[in-house]
This record gives sequence, C-alpha cells and structure tokens, in this order.
Amino acid sequence: MTDIGYVLLVVALIAAVYSAIAFVIGRRQGKPALVESGRNAVLAVCGLLTLCVAALLYLILTHSFQVEYIASYSSRGLPLTYLLSSLWAGNEGSVLFWAWVLSILAAIMVVQKRDVGADLVPYAGAVTMLTETFFLVLLLFVANPFRLLPFTPPDGNGLNPLLQNPGMFFHPPFLLGGYVGFTIPFAFAVSALLSNRLGDEWLVVVRRWTLVAWIMLSIGNLFGGWWAYVELGWGGYFAWDPVENASFMPWLTATAFLHSMMMQRRRGILKVWNIVLIVATFALSILGTFLTRSGVLNSVHSFASSPLLGSMYLGFIAVTLFGSLYLLYLRFPDLRSEAEMESLVSRESTFLLNNLLLVGATFAILLGTFFPIISEAVRGVKVSVGPPFFNWVNGPIFLAVVLLAGVCTLIGWRRASLKNLRHNFLWPGIAGVVLAALLFALGVRRHPVALLAFTACGFVVFTIVSELLRAAGARHRIRGENILKASWGLVTANRPRYGGYLVHIGVVLMAIGIVGSQAFNVEREATLKPGESVTVNRYVVTYDSHDEYQTQNKSTYTAALTVSNGGHFLTRLAPQKYFYADTQQTVTEVAIRSTWAEDLYVIPVGTQDDGTATFKVIVNPLVKWLWTGGTILVLGGVVAFWPNRRKAAPAPARAQGEHDGT
Amino acid sequence: MKSDLRQTPGYCRPALGVDLLKKKKFIIGGAVLLLAIGFLAYRGFAGSAAYYYTVGELLSQGNALSGKVLRVNGQVLAGSVEQKPGNLDLKFTVTQSGQNLPVTYRGVVPDTFKPGGDIVVEGSLAPDGTFVAKTLMPKCPSKYLPVG
Repeated sequence: MTDIGYVLLVVALIAAVYSAIAFVIGRRQGKPALVESGRNAVLAVCGLLTLCVAALLYLILTHSFQVEYIASYSSRGLPLTYLLSSLWAGNEGSVLFWAWVLSILAAIMVVQKRDVGADLVPYAGAVTMLTETFFLVLLLFVANPFRLLPFTPPDGNGLNPLLQNPGMFFHPPFLLGGYVGFTIPFAFAVSALLSNRLGDEWLVVVRRWTLVAWIMLSIGNLFGGWWAYVELGWGGYFAWDPVENASFMPWLTATAFLHSMMMQRRRGILKVWNIVLIVATFALSILGTFLTRSGVLNSVHSFASSPLLGSMYLGFIAVTLFGSLYLLYLRFPDLRSEAEMESLVSRESTFLLNNLLLVGATFAILLGTFFPIISEAVRGVKVSVGPPFFNWVNGPIFLAVVLLAGVCTLIGWRRASLKNLRHNFLWPGIAGVVLAALLFALGVRRHPVALLAFTACGFVVFTIVSELLRAAGARHRIRGENILKASWGLVTANRPRYGGYLVHIGVVLMAIGIVGSQAFNVEREATLKPGESVTVNRYVVTYDSHDEYQTQNKSTYTAALTVSNGGHFLTRLAPQKYFYADTQQTVTEVAIRSTWAEDLYVIPVGTQDDGTATFKVIVNPLVKWLWTGGTILVLGGVVAFWPNRRKAAPAPARAQGEHDGT
Repeated sequence: MKSDLRQTPGYCRPALGVDLLKKKKFIIGGAVLLLAIGFLAYRGFAGSAAYYYTVGELLSQGNALSGKVLRVNGQVLAGSVEQKPGNLDLKFTVTQSGQNLPVTYRGVVPDTFKPGGDIVVEGSLAPDGTFVAKTLMPKCPSKYLPVG
C-alpha cells in the first residue's frame, strides 16, 4: 500500500507538470485540444491525490505502524474521529492534505462553466498546477507520508491529548483550506497579467473564490482561538504568537482585497493595488506554513522542524513574490486607473482608508513577528516584542476599522453632499451619544478606552440597522410588504451587500467581546481546604470535595465546586486534571460557566496531600460575544457567497446606484 | 457588459492640475496615517521589547543584563522540576548545550510545560543569578515525544 501511495504521488507529479506545460503551450499557440488535455490532466491529478489520501487513510485505519508517519501520530487506542484527524495532524500529512485540497479546487476551477473569464483559465490552471508541483515535490523528497520505518512498532505514539478536542479536529483542515484557497485568486491574477487582460474579468471570477478561502480561514482561526480558550487553560484565545500572527495576516490582506476589488469594479481604480493585495495574501499564506514548519522563529507552535523544508518554502515564496511583481512591473502602463478619487468624503475614501489600515496592521504585525530576525541582522542582538507591542499598534487601528464599517454604509459613492450626511448620520449619531451616556452612567467610565470602543461598536450597529430599516421602509412603501418581509426580500435580492453587513455586525460583536474580556477581566488565585470558598466579583466559589482515581494510562483528579451569588445557588462546576504517566503529559480541563454577561473560568492548579487544592478563578466578561460574533461573521460570509438562484443579473454600471456590495 | 466611465459621453479626464491637487489631499492623508501607525509601533515597542537569548548567550553576558526584560530559550532539564505543595511556586532549570540557568516562577503552569521540552521563559535576572520568570512559553508539541 505504501508503494501504491508513493507511485500515485509520482504519477500525480508528472500529470501536474504536464498539465502546466499543456496549458501554457496550448494557450500561447492557440491549440484548444492541448488546453483541453491540460484540463484533463488537472482532473487526473485530483483523482490520483484522492486515491493517495484514501491509501493513507486506509493505512491509518488499519494501524500500519511500519509507516513512520502513522506510528508518530496515531495509536490503537485512538477513537475514530482522532484517527481521521491524524491525516492532517503531522507535517507530512498536512502537506498531502494541502496538495489534495488544491487539486480539488483546481478541478472545480477547470470544470466550472463560466460566461466571464474563460480565457483566463489556461494560465490560471498552469499557475495552480505549478503550485501543486511544488507541494508534490515536497511530498516526494522532503515530507513523504509513506516512508517506512526499518521495524514495525507494536503501537504508535498517539495524538497528544491536548489536541484531542473538537476545536483541534476542525482547526487545521479549515486553516489549511483557507491558505490553499487563496491559490486560485492568485492564479487568476497572474493569468490576467500574463494574458494582458487587466479589466474586471479576473475580479469577477475570483470574488467568490476569495470569499470561500476567507470563510475557511475565518473558521480555522476561530476554532484555534476557541480551542486555546477551552483546552489550554490560560483564559485567553489569542497571544500574538508568530504562528498565530501568520494565520491572521493573510486574513487581514484578504479582507482588504474583498473591499478593494469593489473599488475597481465600480470605479475602475486601484488596479495595481488589487493585484498586490492578492499576491501578498497568497505569499502570506505560504509564509504561514513556512513559519509553522521551519522553526525559524521561536513560536510555541512550531513543530518538528526541517531546515530543507524551510528553505524550500522560502524559495517558493521568493519565486512567487518576485515573479508576480516583475509581471506587475511589465504591465504597469496598462493598469492605469480609469477614474480619480473625487472627494475625501465618499465611500471610496472610506474603503481606501480601510485598506490602508488593514494593510498597515498587517505590516506592523509582520514587523513585530520578524523583529528578532531583523534586529539580529541589523544590530547583532535578538530583540523580540511581546503582546503589548501588538496591542498598542493594533488596538487603535482596529477601532478605526470598526468605526469605518459603520461610517461607510452612510456615505454614498463618489461624493457625499453635506445635507445627505446630516440626514444619514442624525439618528445613528444620536443613538451613539445616548449609548455613550448610558455606558458612562453604568460605570464603564472607569475604563475610557473601553467606553470609546463600546460606543463605536454601538454606533456601527445603529448605522447598519438604520440603513436596513430605511431601505426596507422604502420597499414597504413601494410594494406594500410588511417590514419583516421587506427586509428579507432586500437581503435575498442583494446577498453580497447584506452578507457584508452581517459580517460587519459579526466583527462588531467580536470587538465587544475582545474589549470586554481584555479590559474588565478579574483573576484570583486561592488555595482552599474542602468547605472553604473564594469570592471573585459577585461569585462565591466553594470547594466541596474532590475525587481521584487511576486508570491504566492516566490518573484523573476531579474537584467538585459549587458556585453561588449572595447565597443564591448558581451552578456546580467540576474542573479536572489528568496525568498521563507514559508521556508525562498533564492535561487540565478548565470548568467554564458562560453567560452573555461573563464567563466564570476555573483552572485547577494543583492539589496537596493534606486535601487542599489551589485554583485560579477568572471572570472574563463578554467572551460569549466573541464566539457569537465569529459565528455571525462566518454566516455573513456564506450569505455573501451564496449564488443567486436567478440567472446572474447584469453587473451594475460603474459609478451608479449603490446596490452591490458594501 | 459594464459601462466604462471612459466611454460615457461627456467624460473627460480632469486637468492635470486638478489631478495633482486631489492626489495631494490623499497623499497627505495617507502620510498622516502612516506616521500615526509608526508612532503607535514605537510606543508599543518601547513598552514590550525584550532581549532574546539562549542560555549560553545569557550566561556569557554576566551581570550586565540584570534588571532588563529578557526572553531565554532552552530546554527544561529533566529531573530539575521542583514544585512545593501548597503554593504556586515552581523551580526548574533551563538548559542548552550543557549550560544551565536556574529559574523560579510563580503562577499557573501551562499543560504544555514538560521536563525535556523546549521552552522560552520571559522575565529578568535576579542579583543571585536565578532567572525570575513572569511568563512560561513552552512549545506546543504536535506529537508525543518520548521523555528524555
């Protein structure tokens, strides 16, 4: 079976190289038959890699521990779900997973019927297949998942218990899916440059591809944060670690791209910028994998490192960047804007500002992440920057981005008149002021930054709601539909626009959760005898008893806690600690009581022979809003992605109306 | 197909002077923005920069570093971990190519902390040569590694 897997990879490599060559020659010499053949080769690569994944899965399920990869990442005792996840849990498997997902996306890309951009497909297919070739070379020469051990161990090493959590089951495939997904928009951008078709075609084609990748990356990041919060037991969800930054940066540039592409489609401006953004997003995606796998930066996440693998990734990034930037340079004269920015007070301006801020944030994060390397090169000492750096830079930037999400909905394209502005901003503005006063009175004044941030968040929600009500009201007057039906009709008639609004609401809710949990969290550590309690804010946490037992491979400690509030019983909590003797691994299961107002988060720290136990109790306000906002963000993305059932309406004319996108 | 602004009747490119004037506003705006981001980055940097050393590099610097915020990279020496029952104090040794640095830490120990595992500790050097860690950042392993 391992031989079969290896041969499949070799054949896939040949097919991928052939496909790229066939596409290029077929396109250049105008031979449709050759292009068709390249297309078939893409399908062949997809089929071969699917078989390859099936072969690895078969080996995993049959516990073939002679395969090094399987011995390293699975074991007999692993439940089925985590056996499945060992497909992508390790380096070799994740590269195979990457190559496989890319081949599926490439197959969809070449099979899709399209009215626009069909001429772009051959070169885009070639770029995709060259990327595929890179990963197949990695699989064959550096990260072969089918490599055999010289002996067959009786059992595998298994999956780290910390990774045995639903969050960790979904986090890697979605993250990888997001990274991989940006290959297709990148390929179309390069294709547009190569074939000198620099109009809107490629943007029309890539909009939904970019959205899919963006949605997957969002889901991947959210699962990662959620896993860290419920499983790692430090009460946080994001720590500005290099690898976390690496998955956040392409998300930022992709978000910027999703906005700036609307500028080109509506006004014919920012053409160069769009290409730069998608190239950057793709390069940052590869960089993410590189950082995870190369160990060049000291991250808590960098896994088994291999210098060869690292330098190959770096080489690929260099080729990608310099290749596409050179093409861009060649085509520069053809990428002139068709219009000018007219006024500082216009929707274009808000989009431009949003783009500058998102890219500025990306740049600052990139700088901070690589600072140890930069400072060593410049001054000979490694200096690293911690979370305060990232918070200082990004806090104000993201506050401005959130605020823009509200402002942009109220400003028309091209040039907004003063009267118009006054009319649109009146009610949301008043509501924002009222909210600020209310929060001030409620005691948020202790923390002016939070007061400012919450007010901005409220203002954005008001603007979006008022905008929806205004449009629904118009529909109500014209069509006689009731407000609810009118709103629903609006949303379904223009999914990209209202999907975008939904994403904005999701972002706002997330911002509320982040600000709340960062600004107002309270921590207390206490060592308690059974029967004693500790009070944190309004909560009284009583340590009732504990339970300890030993099973074959682990010992389990469970504490029984009662939580009450002013003599009022609230809930029981049972935080646990496992200790796996064979691997010396401790796993802490925190206990969380989550409400809309706040999370009560209890970490069992340690126990003593005299029966006392130490706990760390954290009150984390508004964390639930973060997860809810994340869910809404993803849903909004799906709404924006959802195809219109009717035949696609003709694209809106430039610089008219404002019924597409946000 | 879409109507192109250039093909719209009556459209003409604005005169060059107007062009420049408009561009200027946006360029100034962008520059102000970049400066603001730069300022924030500088403030954040001043507040959180930490020298990053391996154990060997740190020890060769002697007392020159006492009081500074440092990050030190090495492995947790197997058998060196001491935790007194009843409190949150932890003592262990970070080692790297045979050189050892004693570390004290108070607080919750992350699950990923393991004897033999890679770790970065953040904190500062006490006058007696022990490292007082404020944060433990053990590496998050993707798989089981046998304990050395």
